[in-house]
Amino acid sequence: MSKKYLLIVVLVFALVIAGCTAADAPEATCADEETLCVGFVTDVGEVDDKSFNQASWEAVQEFAAANDVFEVDYVETRDAKDYEANINLFVEAGYDVIVTSGFAIGDYTAAAALANPDIYFIGVDQYQGFDVPNFTGVQFNEDYSGFLAGAVAAMLTETDIVAGVYGTNLVPPVQKFKQGFEAGAAYINPDITVISTYSPGGFETGFTDPEWGATTAAQAIDNGADIVFGAGGQTGNGAIIEAGTQGKLCIGVDVDQWLTLPEAHACLVTSATKLIGPAVIDMLDAYMTDTIPEGNYIGGAGLAPYHDFEALITGDMQDILDQIVLDLESGAILTGFVLEE
Amino acid sequence: MTKENKKKDDQIKERSFGIVGVIWKKISVPLTSIFLALFIGGLIMAISGSDPFEAYGALFQSAFGDINGWGRTLEKATPLIFSGLAVTFAFKAGLFNIGTQGQLLMGAITSAYLGFAITGLPAIIHIPLALLGGALAGALFGSIPGLLKTRTGAHEVITTIMLNYVAINITDYLSNGPLKEVSSSDVVARTPPIEASAEIPQVAGLPLGFFIAIIFAVFVWWILEKTTLGFEIRTAGLSGTAAKYAGIKVTAIIVITMVISGALAGLGGAVETQGIVGRYQPGFNTGLGFDGITVALLGKVHPIGNIFSALLIGSMKAGGAKMQFVADVTPEITNVVQALMLFFVAADRVVRWIIRQRETDDEGLTLTTGWGN
Amino acid sequence: MTDKNNNQDNKFLKHLKKNWAKYTVGILLIVAILYNYDRDPKVTQAVLASMVRHSTPLVLGALCGLIGERSGIINIGIEGQMLISAFAAFMTTAYTGNIIFGVVLGILTGMFMGYLLAIMSIALKLDQIIGGTVLNILALGITSYFYQVGLSMGQKILPIPLGKLADLPLVGRVLFNNPPITYTTFILVFVVHYILFHTKWGLRTRAVGEHPRAADTVGVDVFKIRYVNLIIAGGVAGLAGSFLSLEAVGSFERAMTNGRGFVALAVMIFGRWTPFGAWGAALLFGFASAMQTQINFSGALDIPYQFISMLPYLLTIVVLAGFVGRSRAPAASGVPYEKEG
Repeated sequence: MSKKYLLIVVLVFALVIAGCTAADAPEATCADEETLCVGFVTDVGEVDDKSFNQASWEAVQEFAAANDVFEVDYVETRDAKDYEANINLFVEAGYDVIVTSGFAIGDYTAAAALANPDIYFIGVDQYQGFDVPNFTGVQFNEDYSGFLAGAVAAMLTETDIVAGVYGTNLVPPVQKFKQGFEAGAAYINPDITVISTYSPGGFETGFTDPEWGATTAAQAIDNGADIVFGAGGQTGNGAIIEAGTQGKLCIGVDVDQWLTLPEAHACLVTSATKLIGPAVIDMLDAYMTDTIPEGNYIGGAGLAPYHDFEALITGDMQDILDQIVLDLESGAILTGFVLEE
Repeated sequence: MTKENKKKDDQIKERSFGIVGVIWKKISVPLTSIFLALFIGGLIMAISGSDPFEAYGALFQSAFGDINGWGRTLEKATPLIFSGLAVTFAFKAGLFNIGTQGQLLMGAITSAYLGFAITGLPAIIHIPLALLGGALAGALFGSIPGLLKTRTGAHEVITTIMLNYVAINITDYLSNGPLKEVSSSDVVARTPPIEASAEIPQVAGLPLGFFIAIIFAVFVWWILEKTTLGFEIRTAGLSGTAAKYAGIKVTAIIVITMVISGALAGLGGAVETQGIVGRYQPGFNTGLGFDGITVALLGKVHPIGNIFSALLIGSMKAGGAKMQFVADVTPEITNVVQALMLFFVAADRVVRWIIRQRETDDEGLTLTTGWGN
Repeated sequence: MTDKNNNQDNKFLKHLKKNWAKYTVGILLIVAILYNYDRDPKVTQAVLASMVRHSTPLVLGALCGLIGERSGIINIGIEGQMLISAFAAFMTTAYTGNIIFGVVLGILTGMFMGYLLAIMSIALKLDQIIGGTVLNILALGITSYFYQVGLSMGQKILPIPLGKLADLPLVGRVLFNNPPITYTTFILVFVVHYILFHTKWGLRTRAVGEHPRAADTVGVDVFKIRYVNLIIAGGVAGLAGSFLSLEAVGSFERAMTNGRGFVALAVMIFGRWTPFGAWGAALLFGFASAMQTQINFSGALDIPYQFISMLPYLLTIVVLAGFVGRSRAPAASGVPYEKEG
C-alpha cells in the first residue's frame, strides 16, 4: 500500500531528525576550559544591516582574527521576546564572551550576567545600572556626533535649510542624534532652518522602510533642503540615496556609511558615527588582559572621514569642528539633550 | 464508479483498517503536507549549500527536544492561537479581519496598564481582571470596523488595515508618554512591569496561557457549532441574503462577530503581556496578529485546527534561532516551509493524488462571501 | 427645445444632486491648493510631488488587484508579488548592470507569481485568500533567504523632465518631472480603464467577474480570461516591485514593501474596483502622507508625533465612511468557477 509506505517514510524521516540531534559534536568544544569563544546576539535585525549590528559583528570577527579565538558565531534576533533564549544559546554552548547589541536587550544581558558569573558580557548601546562585575555597558554620546554633523551641515548648506529623516523616537540614540544635529546646526548658524521628521511606523517599520525615507528626503529637498541627515537604519539609507540621486549632500549615521553604503558615494560628506567597532574590540582586549572596566564604558563618537568630499571642508571649517570637539568634551558646549516624551 | 459505490467501498476500507484507518484518513493529508513542505524546504537548503538534516535537527531539537523547548514552543503558539481564532471567527461570518494586529496591541497595552496600575489584588482576581480588560479593549477596537461597515458600508478590509497603523501609533504614544516607566537608568519606551499578582504563571515549565488558549479554542468551537448565535453567524457567512430571508439581523451579526473577533485578538495580547513579556513594550508584539491569518488558514478555519497550526508555526519560531546557530541557515527558510504547508494543506486534492487517496466529499473552503458587500 | 435636451438637463441635475458633496469637496480642494500655491509655491509643490511619489506603488498595486478581481479572482497576494519582483529586479540590475533588464525581469517575476495564483485559484480551486497568503509568505521567505549582502546597483532610475511641460507652474514639477515608471503608472491608469470599459476583452473580463456561467454559455472561455488577467495583473505588481527597488530606493532590503501591498488592496476597494477610483484613493492617501511629513517639517503642531502619524490612516477611514460608503465587488470574485459537465 502506498500510504503505508508513505507513513514509513514519514516515520523514518522523523527518526533521522531525532537521531541527528542525538549525535554529539566532535572533540574540542567551546565548553572546554582552554578554548575561547565569542558570541554575538543582534538587536532585532540582521548582522548585515549596514549599521550598528554589522559594526559589532565585524568587530568581533576582527578580534577573532587577531587573537587565538576558537569560535565566533552570531544569532540574529527575529522576535524581541527571544533575547533571553538567544543569549542562552551561547551560554549553553559554553561561550566565554557574549556581545549583545541594542537598548532593549539590556535587562536580559544583565540577568544573564548575574546568572553566569564566569561569562563576560558586553552590552552595546546598553546602560549598566545593575552593578554586575562581568557586564560592561557600552554607550556613546550620539548627541556629540549629531552636533558635529549639524555643524558640518550648517557650514555647507547654501539654502540655509537642512533636513533630518529619522527612524523612531522610541529609542534614545535616535533622539540624541536628532537633538545634537539641531543644536549643532543652530550653533553655527542661529537662523538656519532644520526640517525633520520621524517615521510614522514606530518599531514596526520605522527602521526598515527605505521607500518612505527616500520619499521624505525628496519632499525635504523640494522644501529647499540641500543637505539630508539620514538616521534610521534602512529608512535613513533610503533618504541618503535619494539625496545623492538629486545631487544634494548627505550625512550618514552610526558607522562610516561610505564603507557600508556604496550607493551613497554621490553625496556622503561624512557620517555621525559612534565608534562601535573600536569600543567592542577595546572591551574584548580588556577581557584578554583582565582589565575589564567597571560599570559602563563610553565609546568614541564623532565624524567619519570625508573621503571624496575632503575638499569641501576648508581649513577654517576643520578648525571650528576641532574646537567643537574640545568644547563638547570640556563641557563648554552643551548639546542640550533631554529625553523626549 | 458511482458515488454510492465509492462510499460503500470507503466504508469497507474503513472497516478493514479499523481505527487506524479512520485516524490515518484524518491525518494523512496534513501529515503528508508537512512532510512535503519540509522536503522541498530541505531541497532549497541543500541546493544553496546547507545541510537540511542538521538544520531541521536543530530546529526540531530546540522546539521539542526538552521541556524548555516545549515551553518556548507553547509560548510562541499561545498568541497565535488567539489571533488565529480571531481571524477564524470573522471568516465564519464572511468577514476578513486583517486588523487582528491592532486589536491585539490594544489588548496588550490595556492589560499591561491594569497589571501595573492596580495593586494589592489577589492573583485569582487580578489575572482575570487584566485579561478581561485586554479582551474589552480588543473588542472595542474591533467593533469600529463592524459599526462602520453596518452604518456606512465602509469595507472592513480597508478599515482594519488602517486601524492597525492607528493602533501602532496609539500604543507607541502611550508607552513612550503617559504610561512610560519612570526610572533614572531606564530610558526605553515601555510601561512599568506588571504586578506579580497579574502574571500568568507557568505550570511545570509550561505556560499556563497556552491552556487558556485551548479552552478558548474549544469555547469558540462551541459558540460556532452549538449555539444559535453560531448558527446565525455561519448562515450570514454563507450568504447574507439567505440569512436575511431567514430572519437573521445581519447587521447585528456583523457587529457582534467583529466584537468577539476583536476580543479574541485582544485576549491574545493580554495573555502575551501577562504570561510572557510582563509589561507593554513597543516592538515586542510585532507580527503576532498578522500571523493569525496564516494560522487560521493552515488550521482550515476550524477553531480546533488553529491549535495545531499555531503549534506548528510556533515551533518554527521557537527553533529558528537554534537552526541559525547550529546550521548557519537563515531562519526565514521556515517562511518558505510555512507557505508550502499552507499550499499543500489547502490543495488537498494534490496531496491526495500523491498518496493515492480517494477524494472525500469535504466541502471546500470559501471564506469571504462578505468581500463584495 | 426638444425632449431629448430636456432629458439631458434633468440627468445632469440629477447627477449634480447625487454627487454634489464630491464636487464641492473637489472644488474646495483645488481652491485650497491654488491658494496655498499663491502663498507658498515651494511647499505646495513639495507636498503635491510627494503625494504622487507616495501614491505610485499603491496605484500599481491596486491596478494589479482590480484587474484580477474584475475577472473574479481576489488577490491578497499583491504584497508578496511586489516584494519578490522588487527582489528580482534588484538582483538582475545588480548582476547585469542594466536597469531595463531589471525592470523586465521584475515584471516577468510578477507575471509568474500571477500565474501561480491563477493555478492555485483556478486549476486547483483553492480558496483565493489562501492562494494570496501563500504568495505573501513565500515571497517573504524566499527574498529573505536568498538576500545577499553587499550588492549594489549603482544609480537608481532618474527623473526625466518632459521638456517645457516640466517648467509649467505647479503641475510641471508634480506631473512632468518624474521617473519613467511613474509616468507609466499615469498611462496605465488610463489604459486599464480603457481596456476594462471600452474593449471586447474588458467586456468579457467583467462578464466573467460578474456572471461566469452566463459568459461561459455565450462562448467566453472563463478560465482563459482569468489566467490571462491574473498574469497581466502580476506584471503590473511586478512593475510596482521594480518601482520600489529600482526607482524609489535604489536598493533592496528585506521586507521592503512594508505593508504597501495591503494598503494597495485597501486603495483598490476604496476606489470601487475602478482604475480612476483607485488612483483617486491612492492620491488621497499619498496626500495625507505628504501632509503628515510636512506638518512634522513645519513643526507647527506641537503634539506628540504619533498623533500626526495617524493622519493618513484616520483620514482614509473618515473619507471612506463619510463620502464613499458601500462598495460592491464583482459578484463572482472569490468563487472558483466549475464548468458544468
